[in-house]
Amino acid sequence: MALTNEPGDAAVRPNDQTPSSELVTSPARIEIPDSAPADDELLAPFGMEEHPTGGFHGLLEVIPTKADLVIDLIRANSLWPLLSGLSCCAIEMMSTATSKNDIDRFGMFPFRASPRQADVLIVAGTLTTKMAGPLVRLWEQMPEPKWCVAMGTCTTSGGRFKRSYSVVQGVDRVMPVDVYVPGCPPRPEGLIYGLLKLRELVMARRGQWRTYVDRGPQRVAWEGDVR
Amino acid sequence: MTAVDPETRIPDPIDVDAAEEARLRAAAGLGPPALAPALGSEYAGFELVGVPDRPPQTEREREMYTLEEGEMLLNMGPQHPSTHGVMRLVVKLRGEVVTDLDPVLGYLHRGIEKLCENATYTTVLTYVDPMDYLASMHNEHAPAIAFEKLFGIQAPRRAEYIRALVVELNRVFSHGLMIGFLALDMGGLTPILYSFINRDDVVELLASISGQRMLFNFFRVGGVNWDVNDEFLSRLGKWHGTVLKSIGDNEKLITENEIFKGRTQDMGILNAEQAISYGVTGPNLRASGVPFDVRKAHPYSIYDELEFDVITQQRGDVYARYLQRIAELKQSLHLIDQIMDKMPPGPVQAQVPGIIRPKPGRAYGAVESPRGLYSVYAISDGGPTPYRFRMRDPSFITLQVMPLLMPSHLIADTMAIMASLDPVMGGVDK
Amino acid sequence: MRLLVERFPETARDLWTDEDTVEVQIPRGSVVETLRTLRDDPQFSFFMLADAAAVDYGVGNHFEVVYHLYSDKHPAWLRVRVPVERANPRTPSVTSLWTGAMFHEREMYDMMGIVFEGNRDLRRIYMSPDYRSFPQRKDFLLPDDAADSSAAGVNPLERPETWDLTTFSKELTSSAATYPPLDTQVDVPAEAYPHGQESADKSRPA
Repeated sequence: MALTNEPGDAAVRPNDQTPSSELVTSPARIEIPDSAPADDELLAPFGMEEHPTGGFHGLLEVIPTKADLVIDLIRANSLWPLLSGLSCCAIEMMSTATSKNDIDRFGMFPFRASPRQADVLIVAGTLTTKMAGPLVRLWEQMPEPKWCVAMGTCTTSGGRFKRSYSVVQGVDRVMPVDVYVPGCPPRPEGLIYGLLKLRELVMARRGQWRTYVDRGPQRVAWEGDVR
Repeated sequence: MTAVDPETRIPDPIDVDAAEEARLRAAAGLGPPALAPALGSEYAGFELVGVPDRPPQTEREREMYTLEEGEMLLNMGPQHPSTHGVMRLVVKLRGEVVTDLDPVLGYLHRGIEKLCENATYTTVLTYVDPMDYLASMHNEHAPAIAFEKLFGIQAPRRAEYIRALVVELNRVFSHGLMIGFLALDMGGLTPILYSFINRDDVVELLASISGQRMLFNFFRVGGVNWDVNDEFLSRLGKWHGTVLKSIGDNEKLITENEIFKGRTQDMGILNAEQAISYGVTGPNLRASGVPFDVRKAHPYSIYDELEFDVITQQRGDVYARYLQRIAELKQSLHLIDQIMDKMPPGPVQAQVPGIIRPKPGRAYGAVESPRGLYSVYAISDGGPTPYRFRMRDPSFITLQVMPLLMPSHLIADTMAIMASLDPVMGGVDK
Repeated sequence: MRLLVERFPETARDLWTDEDTVEVQIPRGSVVETLRTLRDDPQFSFFMLADAAAVDYGVGNHFEVVYHLYSDKHPAWLRVRVPVERANPRTPSVTSLWTGAMFHEREMYDMMGIVFEGNRDLRRIYMSPDYRSFPQRKDFLLPDDAADSSAAGVNPLERPETWDLTTFSKELTSSAATYPPLDTQVDVPAEAYPHGQESADKSRPA
């Protein structure tokens, strides 16, 4: 970026041959000679006089639009999953986390035990009606921004337990899901693909936790439920 | 900030739950949940621990949930850093010493028995895979034996040898994972990586013959689904040459480790009579000195043609269970060697019709899974689906021994003891 | 297995042998004594309870509790079948003989509704404690979409001929081991379903 101008920068230094249309007039590209007038005089034509608190405050108006990108990069590259392996997919999730297929290279190594410190809830394994209550409590305890990955067919739609009396037919009946990773269990490469898709979502700020619509009770009996 | 009228503001989702629950409780005539009853009363333990707010219904519940002076209930909830799955332990503590324990199961109950009653016999073999998901081949082996008894056929010899081969491979990586989980539950983060590398190698081998990494749909009534070819056998031989070293690498980190020995020796000692009375089987029982192995007691498949002996340990503590599994792992490698030598040529699946309709009858098939005696009791009524399909899972029965082993140890030892019993919650909850 | 016929001629009925299993049926009253003899007698020494299962033979028929025993002196599994009547499914508990029968019996109670007298801890083990149905029974039918299933314990009404719910008679539910008692019926008020009663009953909204 042209936030600094090097002495030898021909493109920056306007000379006689430079057509006026190519003269860039942003403050960063103006070359300041040694006998320059004070900052205020220089900046007066642009309406950017010396700010009372100091600093070239015009520049600060450039950074905030880049900070979103930086924050998104930070979030996407250090998604910390919650250790919430329920069933067989949990073994494949652990296999993804260990040496041969490593998700530490994506920054997802620390599987946090506490939901308060986790970003991603990878629901790995069959969700049963008895477990639905604790799992949703975990989801609610996770601070925003948070994302949910439904790993395996049991969490996508009930999977091989389609007619079972105690399996929640898809975890999206109880919580918003961002990425569905099908498979029974999905191969570690599949889960990694799903997590990379999640990173794209995070970078594009397309998560679901703000836009989830509660469809009301979906016939899930939680433990101790009076219904 | 503008003033928000409390009557019209949209309540928080957490508040909505409480309000709704209050309304539903009122509709049911139940009244508000009891909070903090008087200390020392009979229901003193019924605070918001995750215990339902009703009086204890059974003797054991009363004994467990009545707190004396200085005791407290701690809920090690269904989600916890230990890697065994969703099991809830309500632990009664006095200080840091465990005095009583109540395991709450059922967080993974998927109704597999009921689903199997509506599925044909071949489909049943796919439903049983995710029970004990670390020993899927054993999960399929027992129903295959039971169905073959019902149908009255015998699998061809090559199929039996392939069955034994994959079953022993499954045992190898299951025991290898137990080593890793035991160390992980006690804080050692390295052996689990070695265990999973070992598991990935084995599971790639199994994927090359069955097509799946984990819930292999490999067994059929009357044999196995696909044959092994020479390329697989050469890969297997190459793997067999390197696995002892990699298991040895993993083992060297822990077996003579002072910290490990200090945390596992003389911990959770299970003596033989208690183990038999509680129904514990498998490596847990053999580590307490009882030489019961289903492969020797009721030989199935081709185990009467292979030579191996039943290993036992004497002490019955966590360290003994750990050593037992390592010894069995090496014994499995020896068995794989023998199987590779003796594999006969031939077909791998007997001629069975597409939809199997056995004659009405009852059959019981038992195998030795890495966790113990895994058995299937199947009743057929002559139709395409089993009339009753009952699986006896070893981890389920082994978990009963926890309220016996864990009291009088510290709460940090509960995880070591549980990891040494090696439960897999898929099997526990069916 | 002539031993069994000799020792229990008055109680054993319907002896049957397979290649590796011997089956015997005994009546409900003599369960504990018979199993105790089988366990302790040195001629039998069936020291291990391998499996305890419950079988439902249909809506008009009885239940059965099946025990599988193992002995190191005999080359066969022993299967002991105990018929239990369906209207009052009570049977003595064997937890006094094998402590490991506790979870077996809890599971049989949870899935089938068989009450084991003498069991110190007869609670539901798989389903939630306030679940009101017994899933493994033959009159508990699996619907095609589990969202319409009885998550809270009312039988799904797929077939009208099973509407005669003899299993939910008063005598069964009045025992202490089944809770909550069925006379506290829950009427869910209309406000609990913000999108209307019909959409709550369907698996997809509207």
